[in-house]
Amino acid sequence: MSSSDQIPQENDLPKSQQTPMNIDGNSTTHFGYKTIEKDDKISMVAGVFHSVAKQYDVMNDLMSFGIHRLWKRFTIDASGVRPGNKVLDLAGGTGDLTAKFSQLVGREGKVVLADINSSMLNVGRDKLRDKGLVQNIEYVQANAEYLPFEENTFDIVTIAFGLRNVTDKDKALRSIYSVLKPGGRLLVLEFSKPEHELLNKAYDFYSFNILPKMGEIVAKDGDSYQYLAESIRMHPDQETLKSMMDNAGFEQTSFKNLTGGVVALHKGYKF
Amino acid sequence: MSIFTKLAASKIANELLLPQAVTAALELIINKALALNNNTSVSFSAVAQKTLTLKLAELSFPLSFSVNSSSKPVVVIVSTLAEQSDCSIQTSLYTLKKLKDNQSLTQLIKQDELDVSGDLKVAQQFANIAQSLEIDWQSELANHLGDVPTHKLLQFGNKVTKSFLTKSKQLEADLTEYVVHEKRLVVSKSQIKAFNQRTKEIANDVSAISKRVDKLIADYASK
Repeated sequence: MSSSDQIPQENDLPKSQQTPMNIDGNSTTHFGYKTIEKDDKISMVAGVFHSVAKQYDVMNDLMSFGIHRLWKRFTIDASGVRPGNKVLDLAGGTGDLTAKFSQLVGREGKVVLADINSSMLNVGRDKLRDKGLVQNIEYVQANAEYLPFEENTFDIVTIAFGLRNVTDKDKALRSIYSVLKPGGRLLVLEFSKPEHELLNKAYDFYSFNILPKMGEIVAKDGDSYQYLAESIRMHPDQETLKSMMDNAGFEQTSFKNLTGGVVALHKGYKF
Repeated sequence: MSIFTKLAASKIANELLLPQAVTAALELIINKALALNNNTSVSFSAVAQKTLTLKLAELSFPLSFSVNSSSKPVVVIVSTLAEQSDCSIQTSLYTLKKLKDNQSLTQLIKQDELDVSGDLKVAQQFANIAQSLEIDWQSELANHLGDVPTHKLLQFGNKVTKSFLTKSKQLEADLTEYVVHEKRLVVSKSQIKAFNQRTKEIANDVSAISKRVDKLIADYASK
């Protein structure tokens, strides 16, 4: 039996296990708070990231007060990466995770930085080359729903702050499952739901009042950061994402809340 | 420290992402030092792709050091690679200082102050690199501050260090004197307690005699 035979298909799932996105007629999806045609989402998200690519790192530091670096370090620590591993940094953007993985997998290992957006990929490639990281990194422009790799290729797949922008998350998770080697693991670092109500309220105020203004001043694009805030709220919460990973075939799935649940790291294995 | 306190400390540290903050800061400092190294004969090839894990008693998480020397040597530190390490050392900061002072490695292992597992050569290679780094802090600082301020700053720094060392030596000597000689002569807490009790009793006796004398005088006067 091939690994793809073992993956439960979306239509095979009982209704209770299907995510809202699977149920809503399959022709529409969310773009922030807007409901749009699925076919339009890729180009709309692309528009956002083409617009913010050059200021992406600066804005990340500003918006998270630099904490995104610690969240990413936590992801590296949790990945259990070792020399010789093959790593796919999906929606890798400007290559923060790729840089660290490249140093850890060494000459025998390989890191593939994949992103659907050419602008983000170009910024990432320039940044990594400037750091002298060239020998074990490949760059691929790819859609997470249709990964252009053979089955059982990677030891580790990470997707940091990217899954919420994917049109069909279930399809992307199944695609990731397929390219992982048996024993391989997926790590999803993504904004999530804060654990405490008070933090939730403060976070809402910050996201909808301060963040778009920051985007307007620094990246000259308030709308993209309004989308960011909205897309975070529309993203599945911790338990929902965990069950989506289960449905995609991942085993021993778990999540760890970081900074009170503002961000969560989900982890699942393929056996 | 009890196991429960250790677990609680570890949980709090993880919640605050302390391991990640510590490894990020250490990585920054070490790589900055490597970039400033003037000793071109330092070779990193022996430790390339090797991992040294340090488990310090003072920290609730391990520190795993690995070197990537593909373009320029870079040290990468993560906090959870303990099982995959080429060499693992369990010790404390205090013992590390003893090692720096050339105290015998085997002696420290015998005294259970140091626990080494894996390839000891890897640890020695890392230590050799650290010792052979040559960094001209003075000229590096002068590039940022200028020659005169740097000279003044270092002069002040040396003065403070010297004074601190003299004071700490004096304190150490005073403490030794106290522990060896004076502590035996000092009155103990129980002795003070007994003395206070006895003083109280005498005061009571004196007060009783005084009252009796007053009464006798009064009786005598009335006769």
